[in-house]
Amino acid sequence: MQAQTLQKIEALFEKYPQKRGALLPAIYLVQAEKGHVDSDAARELAELFELQPVDVWEVLTFYNMFYTAPQGRHHVYVCTNLPCSLRGARSLLKGIESHLGVHCGQTTADGRITLGHEECLGSCGTAPMMRVDGEYVENLDLVEAKRVIDGLD
Amino acid sequence: MVTITIDGKEYEVAERRTILQAIDDLGLLMTEVDIPHYCFHPKLAVDGSCRLCQVEVEGLPKLQIACDTPVRDGMIVKTANQRVKDARKGVMELLLINHPLDCPICDQAGECKLQDYSFDYGIESARTQEPRRPAKKNADLGPTIVFDQERCILCRRCVRFCREVPKTGELGVFHRGDESVLELFPGTQLDNPYSMNVADICPVGALTTKDFRFKIRVWFLDDQESVCDQCSNGCNIYASRSNNKVYRYLPRRNDAVNDTWICDHGRMSYKQILENRLTEPGIKGQRDVGYRDAIQEAGRLIREARTSSRRIVGVASPYASNEDLFTFRKLLEALGAGPGTFAVQRGEADDVLIKAEKAPNANGARALGFEESYESVGAADVAIVLGHTTTAEYFRDVANLILIDTHVSSLMDQAAVVLPARVTAEKEGTFTNHANRVQRFLPVVEPKFEAWSDGDLLQQIASASGLGGWDSMYSVHEISKELTESIAAFADLQLGSLDDQGRELS
Repeated sequence: MQAQTLQKIEALFEKYPQKRGALLPAIYLVQAEKGHVDSDAARELAELFELQPVDVWEVLTFYNMFYTAPQGRHHVYVCTNLPCSLRGARSLLKGIESHLGVHCGQTTADGRITLGHEECLGSCGTAPMMRVDGEYVENLDLVEAKRVIDGLD
Repeated sequence: MVTITIDGKEYEVAERRTILQAIDDLGLLMTEVDIPHYCFHPKLAVDGSCRLCQVEVEGLPKLQIACDTPVRDGMIVKTANQRVKDARKGVMELLLINHPLDCPICDQAGECKLQDYSFDYGIESARTQEPRRPAKKNADLGPTIVFDQERCILCRRCVRFCREVPKTGELGVFHRGDESVLELFPGTQLDNPYSMNVADICPVGALTTKDFRFKIRVWFLDDQESVCDQCSNGCNIYASRSNNKVYRYLPRRNDAVNDTWICDHGRMSYKQILENRLTEPGIKGQRDVGYRDAIQEAGRLIREARTSSRRIVGVASPYASNEDLFTFRKLLEALGAGPGTFAVQRGEADDVLIKAEKAPNANGARALGFEESYESVGAADVAIVLGHTTTAEYFRDVANLILIDTHVSSLMDQAAVVLPARVTAEKEGTFTNHANRVQRFLPVVEPKFEAWSDGDLLQQIASASGLGGWDSMYSVHEISKELTESIAAFADLQLGSLDDQGRELS
């Protein structure tokens, strides 16, 4: 963990009545630094929070936007919840899978893109949609999705 | 204190406790008040994850979980009406959605809460048609425990145990919803001195011990009360036996001693009943002598020492019971030998259960006037020695060693007479633990060869050495009576009057 991240986490402690309350934003900070939070990072966090590593790991694995293994340079997550599915998200996801040559949940061999799916990103009015590196790309079809994905370095 | 009413009966309970905790405080959980539960455990933090303990609380519209609902004065609880029963049935159906129902090949069968409550509240067939969630079978969690993930109902008892008792936290429930799984923290093993307790508290067949699983069906076993003799904590145990054989030790609840836990070392010590036992009497290294001959030889050695007024010493064992030690004390007094000594091995201790003194009754020896000594006994004609907590070096200048022992040791080579004795599981008596709590243990099995308790052997030796007043044998109960009458600290601690929780020395 970099000194800068550590500093940010320590600053968080003041905002919560219990140290433990700051765990979730702290995991975000570690993930922002490393791209993922592995078991070594969880141990580090546990020590900092005076918890057992398993406590951190339970929180970490509960949320599917935290990654425990290295991800690709770009994150492409397709929403597959009900409204998006009604608007063709499943076939969209299949189309992206064959375009990239990976299954949902995998990373391309060159480490460029990790493809995944999410359960409702709260953008039902613009379904189907996907999240690319944290940004929403909405009112999608496969052609547009491919164009956006191909534009990633 | 507050008053709560459960199914029409009033109870006085402590404040700031939940319904199940309050019932447990009264000692009525699963007896008088039968509220089914999986995740609640009286010695672990409340979790509220299984939802089975739902009860109706008057004034509250929805059913409440008894494990996590605090008591308040005047609370009226109903635990057995149709609404509650229907809710339990619903919870059971959900818990069984992914359960394999492989009872015929599951080692937990017969002591499985899922089985029991299925009979009580479950439905006979599943309404789901979806395939059950695939999960790990026979997964190795560490040196002691095997994990069957399919059977796990995610009650988190093992998770809380590892966190709260040994404080090692190897286990957790990871991911969420229908993807939740019990797993080890990456890169760790379930390996701590108390690991096997997770198998006891697992309400289903998910966690089983490598040692016990598939050894015997539990309905062939019956449990006898005993006390672990591996350290001075004196953890209360059940010895599960069948056909004169012990198959396992299980912790027996005693809130003043071991809560509901035992350490792995103590649990595995049942093996010592059969391993490396001293099975035959001996005279000067000769092993095919009869029992009578060995006793007579011991008697002769003592008689000769007495006629020529040569020194006799006694060395007691901290593994011997209070009753056996009292007999020894009486014998040494009759022989004019002066107080006996004893030595106790020390080792690592922790702040959970394990104590430094690696024997069950060092405090009993102290209370009965034996002196702790780690020096050679000096020159003597006869040394009467219980056990091998001392080494040959102690008896450098002893002409004749009479050794009464349970297991084979190097001390035997030096002994003039060797007599096989019974281990804790083969006799009745009491131990005085590190906190001076006197606890009884009952006979579990009969030895597979001729062996007697230390006290019985000492009585026979006394008789053979021609001491007056030792001709009739006294039972351990008669000795206990005499002990409690003649030694003030042991007053009121007679074998027959002690209950299964023990009492402190006065």
